[in-house]
Amino acid sequence: MSKNTLKICIGTPCHLMGAADLLESVENLNHKLREKIELKTSHCIDNCCEKAPVAEFNGKVYQDLNPEKLDKIIRENIR
Amino acid sequence: MDLVFEEFYRSIPKGGEEVCGDNVEIIKKNKKTIVVLSDGLGSGIKANILSTLTSKIASGLLEKELPLKEILSTILATLPVCEVRGIAYATLAFLIIDQKHQLRLIEIDSPSAFLFRNNQVQKLNYREFELEGKKIREANFKFQRSDQLFLVSDGVTHAGIGGLLNFGLGWDGVAKEIERTVRRNQADLKYNINKLVKVFNTFYGDQAGDDFTIIGMKYRKKRKVNIWSGPPLKAEDDSLLAEKISEAEGKKIICGGTTAQIAARELNKKLEVGLKYYDKDIPPTSQMEGFDLLTEGLLTLNRVLSLLKKYKPGQIPAAGKDGASRFTRLLLESDSVRFLVGRAVNESHQSLNLPINLGIRSQIISQIAEQLRRIKKKVEIEWF
Repeated sequence: MSKNTLKICIGTPCHLMGAADLLESVENLNHKLREKIELKTSHCIDNCCEKAPVAEFNGKVYQDLNPEKLDKIIRENIR
Repeated sequence: MDLVFEEFYRSIPKGGEEVCGDNVEIIKKNKKTIVVLSDGLGSGIKANILSTLTSKIASGLLEKELPLKEILSTILATLPVCEVRGIAYATLAFLIIDQKHQLRLIEIDSPSAFLFRNNQVQKLNYREFELEGKKIREANFKFQRSDQLFLVSDGVTHAGIGGLLNFGLGWDGVAKEIERTVRRNQADLKYNINKLVKVFNTFYGDQAGDDFTIIGMKYRKKRKVNIWSGPPLKAEDDSLLAEKISEAEGKKIICGGTTAQIAARELNKKLEVGLKYYDKDIPPTSQMEGFDLLTEGLLTLNRVLSLLKKYKPGQIPAAGKDGASRFTRLLLESDSVRFLVGRAVNESHQSLNLPINLGIRSQIISQIAEQLRRIKKKVEIEWF
């Protein structure tokens, strides 16, 4: 089983735009899904701070997220 | 070796009361330290006002360096006296210690001090005299490098009444507790004060029967902290700053995500970004070898500033685990603070339309420096 990597930016802009909620939503994923994901944080992803919050899932960068969007991205792209 | 006189106190209000009837004032001036403790009669707001009044008058007079006798008679003449009971509304203890380590302690109606010397607690040699019809105790001695001195309000010597004991701990009981606690850990005064407060509170059954305060004092070596915050205006200064911080003496803090990334790149070290939120408003801290703390930038600095504004000398800093609380603790535990501040504008913050006072790093750091100077820390700022 290949591990999925999720990287969430916690830089100031992303934090202000709700990075903490994203982190919390990942922790609240159902157990089966959660254990397939390796969660990391970063100070900045791709310098696209004007579209915060930003996350990177399996190498692809997603912008302007909220917990619902992130949840959808994870479910659609999980390996 | 450079020594500094350090003092910490905690005041616990009587169970059910919002404010404590004891008040402590600590003043550092011209290498002298003045500590004043006053205990107002009764508890609650009335006691708080009485003790604040008394300790403020005393510390104000002491700060002006008037002759001691004059100060004492002024205080005694102005101390309000209870009409019914005929006793003063507040007790008073104060001490002055100069740079030659000479300590002078005066006590009016308060419990005798506890001196921890050579692994045991002893009573001081007092000279007693009468002034304005009041008995006053005075002790004058040389405070040694390894000595620790504790002042308490009578709530401590009475600990246990209404709780575990019939008549309270008394002076000897308190001495025993202090001796036991300090022997185990002579270096960490803050920890000991917290521990002793816990002990006395337990004797009271966690519902203090009276306001109580304990002040601890000792000498310790001076401490330094270095902070690098913000990328420099010129990118070629990156390596210079990284070198400066990594070679600095004392504790090291990096404040700012981008700054941490620059440091990791220049010093060729691995930066581990944390993901645990201890406080929802403060982004997690990171880790890097050789550094004591790596925090987020602006939000953390703003929180540090607001924590420092609330700080009163001698208080034990808040125990939070988030970046800002840890940052504040490191600042308060140090005697000299050196800031290396980069002034480059962070493009990413411009898109946020932050309020102007939140957004400008150099202003926040100047304000932090001002607060640190208020509590007599030595502050240096280098701009890049």
